[in-house]
Amino acid sequence: MYFDTFTEFLQMGKHGFYVWLAYGTTLVVVLGSWLSARAAFSNVTKQLRQRAELAQRAGADESLIGSHNESKT
Amino acid sequence: MLSDSLKQLWHKLGSPRWFFSLTTPWMTGLGAAAGILLIIGAVWGLAFAPADYQQGNSFRIMYVHVPAAMLAQSLYIGMGVAGFVGLVWRMKLTDVAIEACLPLGMLITALALFSGSVWGAPTWGSWWEWDGRTISTLVLFFLYVGIFALREAISDQELRARASALIAMVGTINIPIIKYSVEWWNTLHQPASFTLTEKPAMPSEMWLPLLVMVLGFYCFAAFVVLLRMRVEILTRDINARWVNEWIAEQKVP
Repeated sequence: MYFDTFTEFLQMGKHGFYVWLAYGTTLVVVLGSWLSARAAFSNVTKQLRQRAELAQRAGADESLIGSHNESKT
Repeated sequence: MLSDSLKQLWHKLGSPRWFFSLTTPWMTGLGAAAGILLIIGAVWGLAFAPADYQQGNSFRIMYVHVPAAMLAQSLYIGMGVAGFVGLVWRMKLTDVAIEACLPLGMLITALALFSGSVWGAPTWGSWWEWDGRTISTLVLFFLYVGIFALREAISDQELRARASALIAMVGTINIPIIKYSVEWWNTLHQPASFTLTEKPAMPSEMWLPLLVMVLGFYCFAAFVVLLRMRVEILTRDINARWVNEWIAEQKVP
């Protein structure tokens, strides 16, 4: 550990504000892009699952799945 | 024949379905590696690396600024290469790659600019300097924004793919300008922290955490880009039989 006390660690000499601002923004960017990509993936799998269920209920042929649902381009 | 199997591999590479199943086993490992490396690198850089004798503790911003700036350029190069391959060989997958790189690249470039600005405030005494590197990185940001806006504006999928591939490709001219900006113009920005040919000017207890952070950022970017590509592949192939077979195999959470 480079710092002697936790307060010193938070203060970062005179540069606490700048250091924590940069790291805080990085955390927001990293978490944000991870969570939004993850949300997009669970979104599309949920959508696929619903379509599969609907198709099963309708007893439709696989080739008819989604014929009324234009896929996102 | 070797050339025949190479050709086959090339065709497979362009197949979204093949790419999807290829990347499935990579995801957990990549995500875990990214998380572990980023946590180790951040704690090391923030709490254990010694302060810089000139800049004090503000130099710790380097551990997020340098990887962000490297990634901003690498993601753009990735889009440029994908654009070139897409234009020449008409692969579907390359447009999927461009689509997946865009949001992360844009955000990471903004982060590189912002963290640079926050670092510049105590170091250069100013939040913004019109220096060669900041200007060329700002141009990089506008290239990302431009391609993003273009993709929003064009509804024809084929035309959108070709237009963004072209701009991505042409825009890579900016990358060497960013790289050499610190040498061509006598500027405030310090030269590269890492080069492949020379030993870093920093002691190892300063550059080791940076290496960990750079690796962590690259794993993270690979993870997010692949995840977004997988989303895009499923969305584009939503009516395909293989997608329906895939979803049938997935356990309900």
